[in-house]
Amino acid sequence: MSDLDRAIAQLRACRPIPEAEVRELCHKARELLIEEGNVVTVNAPVTICGDIHGQFHDLMELFRVGGDVPDTNYLFMGDFVDRGFYSLETFLLLLCLKVRYPDRMTLIRGNHESRQITTVYGFYDECLRKYGSANVWRYCCDVFDYLALGAIVLGASNTLPSAGGEPVSSSPDADEIEIEVRNSDGQVISQFLRQQQKDVARGRINRSTPNGGSSAIMTNGGATPPPPPSSSPPTSTPTHTGPPGSSATSTSAGSIGNPAGAVLCVHGGLSPLIDKVDKIRLLDRKQEVPHEGAMCDLLWSDPDEIDGWGLSPRGAGFLFGADIVRVFNQRNDLSLIARAHQLVMEGFKEMFDASIVTVWSAPNYCYRCGNVAALLELSEDESGMGVLARSNGDVNRSDGGMAAAAATGGWAPGPGGASVGGSGGQRGQSIVMDGGGGGGLLPARAGPARRYRVFQAAPQDSRGMPAKKPVADYFL
Amino acid sequence: MSAPSIPNLLSLRSGAAGGRGRGRGGSARSGRSGPGPRPSHDATIQGTDTDAAVSRLSAVELGYLSDPFARLFVQGPATRRLPIINRGTYTRTTAIDTLVDHFLATTSPDEPRQIVSLGAGTDTRCLRLFTSPANHRNIAYHEIDFPTIMARKQTIIATTPSLQTTLSTPSPLSPTTWQSHSLTPEQPTSPNNNTLTLHGLDLRTLTPSSPTLPTFLPTAPTLLLSECCLCYLPPQTTTSLLHHFTMSSSSSLLSLVLYEPILPHDSFGKTMVSNLAARGIAMPTLDVYPTAADQERRLREAGFVRSESVDGIWEGWVSEAEKERVDGLEGGLDEVEEWRLLAGHYIVAWGWRGGKGDLDVRIAC
Repeated sequence: MSDLDRAIAQLRACRPIPEAEVRELCHKARELLIEEGNVVTVNAPVTICGDIHGQFHDLMELFRVGGDVPDTNYLFMGDFVDRGFYSLETFLLLLCLKVRYPDRMTLIRGNHESRQITTVYGFYDECLRKYGSANVWRYCCDVFDYLALGAIVLGASNTLPSAGGEPVSSSPDADEIEIEVRNSDGQVISQFLRQQQKDVARGRINRSTPNGGSSAIMTNGGATPPPPPSSSPPTSTPTHTGPPGSSATSTSAGSIGNPAGAVLCVHGGLSPLIDKVDKIRLLDRKQEVPHEGAMCDLLWSDPDEIDGWGLSPRGAGFLFGADIVRVFNQRNDLSLIARAHQLVMEGFKEMFDASIVTVWSAPNYCYRCGNVAALLELSEDESGMGVLARSNGDVNRSDGGMAAAAATGGWAPGPGGASVGGSGGQRGQSIVMDGGGGGGLLPARAGPARRYRVFQAAPQDSRGMPAKKPVADYFL
Repeated sequence: MSAPSIPNLLSLRSGAAGGRGRGRGGSARSGRSGPGPRPSHDATIQGTDTDAAVSRLSAVELGYLSDPFARLFVQGPATRRLPIINRGTYTRTTAIDTLVDHFLATTSPDEPRQIVSLGAGTDTRCLRLFTSPANHRNIAYHEIDFPTIMARKQTIIATTPSLQTTLSTPSPLSPTTWQSHSLTPEQPTSPNNNTLTLHGLDLRTLTPSSPTLPTFLPTAPTLLLSECCLCYLPPQTTTSLLHHFTMSSSSSLLSLVLYEPILPHDSFGKTMVSNLAARGIAMPTLDVYPTAADQERRLREAGFVRSESVDGIWEGWVSEAEKERVDGLEGGLDEVEEWRLLAGHYIVAWGWRGGKGDLDVRIAC
């Protein structure tokens, strides 16, 4: 058993590892993370998780419900630390798993992975309490600076696979299921068929556009195309290049059996300074989270029912409306943005015609909020159209990949990634025209099939793990 | 897809609590985990006052509130609370301050008026009022709490050097009642006629037929304050208690300000009730008055009327400049949704009987 495996076993039991081991672990993790781009490319299947916030026992429940590492590929969208009482064990375990299974674990940065925030919200105090010095906190913060800012999931399927070993879906139209929600025992709670979604979406077009656009969404994204930014007119420049099997070369939005579009994962949301995913790649991320600017926005912003951009009540980042998401997804050939950052009582929340979803993975947040948690499973497309090497880091870790990505303006091209651009732009246009003409396409690209698993807080007093009854603060 | 090697923690749920974790340093209640006899409900409720005092000091040390007296009532080093708790402490304190100021501003300073703080515990509002630059006059301030709590408070007042110029040494009116006069540095003879009476008694013993409290002024305009106090009592008891005051006072103005949790039946509320129950805290009135409307109805029955959630007070009563100042203290809140949840589960309700709609405060600052 290697030292790393021993550390994993110890952390799985919720026992901290010695300071010297933390130092070594953080050193190794940094070497690994420094090779990753700001936007990591991940191939489906992958299970996407939101905020954990030091709720270690609930992370164990998440692994029980979602499958253990390395059997399941995970993408954690940040906020591993603060608020809960086991930030240290939580982050170190995730980091150990990242170092042990780099291609199976993707960690991106949340707004709490910051020196300033962790001194206010608990992680600093916890390290001080558990080690008697701030050294471990410092090692961890140095790792935070190297975490990626986002991830792109490619090759997700439009259809749900049967869940292995679990009750088979009762629906005769299993291929048509776009969204499925299961409980922690694997039982289906609800299903939504793709066709229904189409009808709903099409119905909205027919209602809104002929009247000059009764909804803000369609006003901007449908009948009246927004003026493209002068630097990158989407219809004339072949900006959408990418590996085969990704949405970047596919015009098959919504057709069964073909890969769905790419999914952007980021902790908070969009930034007014970022109109293309490639601009994220150009940021210098290896620093403390700044108080403003693109990097700050990606980690702090929230979607909201507004038009355009708005000020955030958090005092950092921005609020952004459906129109912003629609334009961004079209321009970048995305079918979905997955983000975390906001407490959702039901564990997940799809907004804006399912163009963006919030995933929240800390059940009974702060041992007080009474919410359930969720994880999002995207399955692998098995139509044979998009077979890619499943090594999420390799593409970005090679300088060539980075340079090529920057040069072509597409996502990191993987093996065989030299593809014809322009189709995405054409599709973007056809979508717009569809809004007026009432053709057969969706107003927005049909998303990948999504399986949510919803779970509750684990009891803190389970055997085999040190646990203290959490005391939630109230206004007494 | 599930991992059978990981035990289902939910199925392993057992009753015994492991007490091996660390305490939270400084918090008075953290030592209470593990087996052993539970403290009485009364002792537990008294402990909530320690919780409030620690929260108050946290908010003061971080600059949310200005209160030189907060330090006197906390033993040991200050515990820093999370920003969400500090903002809550700030909001409810300033809301009640606003209502108290409004009461004082709308009653004549030339005649006695009185404030009765139910379950006052270690509250410092009286000390802040008596030392306020507003130079309030003719305030008879009454604090009521268990005899042991009031005895401790009078000892602190009597033995704290920095209070010698603020309050006279409490003189016993009975074995469980003490009175102090407010002093000013220039004129150490109570020129302002402000008094503080500490009533050591069990609130549950106050009924419509019990005698009027010593030094209580039956004809003076009166403000009753319950800052998270009545919620711990059985509903019939609170009704009886409030009747005691409505019967004792023949003043043309009797006002009431309540601060209490609400909404015990949604998932946040259920978790709150169960978390507090785990600490031995029960809030019987919560079931009887679960919503703001129920609280208003309760006050209306006693002749009183209006309420606002702590969330609404933060949004509507606190000026933008003050919000910016407060948010700047710790860099703002990390979670707005969590704040809305927590702050939405507390209200300040207030009302009046008589007067000219005197506490009709909507936006006060």
